[in-house]
Amino acid sequence: MLKTDLIKSDCPILKREAKNHPLVYLDNAATSQKPRQVIEAIADYYANHNANVHRGLHTLSEEATEMYEDARRVVAGFIGATDLSEVIFTTGTTESLNRVAFTWALFNLQEGDSILLTDIEHHSNLIPWQIVAKQTGAKLEYIEIGSDDTGNIILEKFKDKLSSLSGKVKLVCFSQASNVLGTILPVKEISKAAHAVGALVCIDGAQAVPHIPVNVQSLDCDFYAFSGHKMLGPTGIGVLWARKNLLESMEPFIYGGGMIDVVTLNDSTWAVLPEKLEAGTPHIAGAIGLSRAVKYLRNLDMKNIREHEVIMNTYALNKLSTIEGLKILGPADAQERTGLIAFSVDGIHSHDLAAVLDTVGVAVRSGHHCCMPLHKKLNISSSTRASFYIYNNTDDIDRLVEGIQKAIKILGKNKLKNLEY
Amino acid sequence: MDDTLYREELMEVYKNTSNRGRLTDPSIEIMQKNPMCGDEIVLQLKLSDTNPRVIEDAKFDGVACAVSVISSSYLLDALKGKSIEEAKNMTKEQLLEMLNLNLTTSRVKCATLVLDALKNAIDQYEQR
Repeated sequence: MLKTDLIKSDCPILKREAKNHPLVYLDNAATSQKPRQVIEAIADYYANHNANVHRGLHTLSEEATEMYEDARRVVAGFIGATDLSEVIFTTGTTESLNRVAFTWALFNLQEGDSILLTDIEHHSNLIPWQIVAKQTGAKLEYIEIGSDDTGNIILEKFKDKLSSLSGKVKLVCFSQASNVLGTILPVKEISKAAHAVGALVCIDGAQAVPHIPVNVQSLDCDFYAFSGHKMLGPTGIGVLWARKNLLESMEPFIYGGGMIDVVTLNDSTWAVLPEKLEAGTPHIAGAIGLSRAVKYLRNLDMKNIREHEVIMNTYALNKLSTIEGLKILGPADAQERTGLIAFSVDGIHSHDLAAVLDTVGVAVRSGHHCCMPLHKKLNISSSTRASFYIYNNTDDIDRLVEGIQKAIKILGKNKLKNLEY
Repeated sequence: MDDTLYREELMEVYKNTSNRGRLTDPSIEIMQKNPMCGDEIVLQLKLSDTNPRVIEDAKFDGVACAVSVISSSYLLDALKGKSIEEAKNMTKEQLLEMLNLNLTTSRVKCATLVLDALKNAIDQYEQR
């Protein structure tokens, strides 16, 4: 069991009020709050060690370099990466996925090839592939994932599609955990099936790494992307992990200082990994903050964090299902999802629901959550999403439920319907 | 968000506005999407045969939040009887003044969805 009160007291922002009510923060799938340990680690870097990395021989630069590279060691250990040069710091999941698209896929795919995605992807794991497909002539193929689908059903769909596309699929890309349905996909088994037909596997881990134990070796994927800010870390820092031979074969995404071997006026050669793929001054403070966040999570133990989220899910699913007209998206089984629940309420627009919840200090997300195709498929324009993290407890869910009931009372039923065209 | 948005008389507009629905014989019809939230509304205008043409009737429909519905309803009330030229000159500031709500930046976009629809509808009409 997590001591949520202690964790809450570590996060300064969770002491504040919103609209004269104690803040209940349930928008963690968008970004998590930060414990003071993370904030202090960033402040300590700027106050005591700030310098550019890898290129100074003075004390500060050596300290900063040591802290930055130590952050890489900590992050690598957290995701089970065995080789430090396989951990590339980026600005976040979006950039990491764009790197795979534009420095691997663009050079390795051609007409006749397919990229296999699911139809529930976040726009950041969809749009880069649309552009790659347009530029290379490769075709996008989709696994249709139903709102209630869980592990084995999804795996079978992947297997069927991979076999029906016999050898055409060169890359399989999907989120380990859906940011709307919460569904956890069986990465290891899908990777095995993909590798059996010669495809590589690229995972969007933005909603997984903060919530479930992740080990890139045992998942057996080829590329793995995630962000720091959803897991107690600062914004602007994320990771692309990939197999070394792939990273070595990839061209840099950006060019400039810090990533070169030899530069002449007419040509340049690249440094070894990871520097080759980290041009410019990196987000040193961000990496240090992320590293401190990882230590905080490791201290709690990811197994306990997962257990806590299943408890929260069970309680929330139970409570929410008693509200008339409320429809929960995603699997009914708390074990099959990460700590988030998106839902719609008959006749109430998600923006209005979120706005009424805000009046009682409850922060949730409303909209399409960067998943327009999924919402279109579910025949709703938007949904409301409550997402939990390590500092949330069942009282927070009670406040959410009270807020929803208030919204239903005020807004009642309206004739909302999708336009037919 | 200001709590006053969800006050009773506005909720009455939200739930029961007569400006919501479809015209049988619209002169102009346009669909407008708010890409931020995925909302979409359809705006229909019925124009007179006179010169200058006057907006005789107007309706909107679709999926929209309370801010968008209330704003649409207010704008349509204001549009009826106006000429195309007058409708074209309607500004965001005038609409927000009419609404008199303390809206946050993101919700201003909800309020102006119908105004964007109006501008596009008139553009489309004039290009015929």
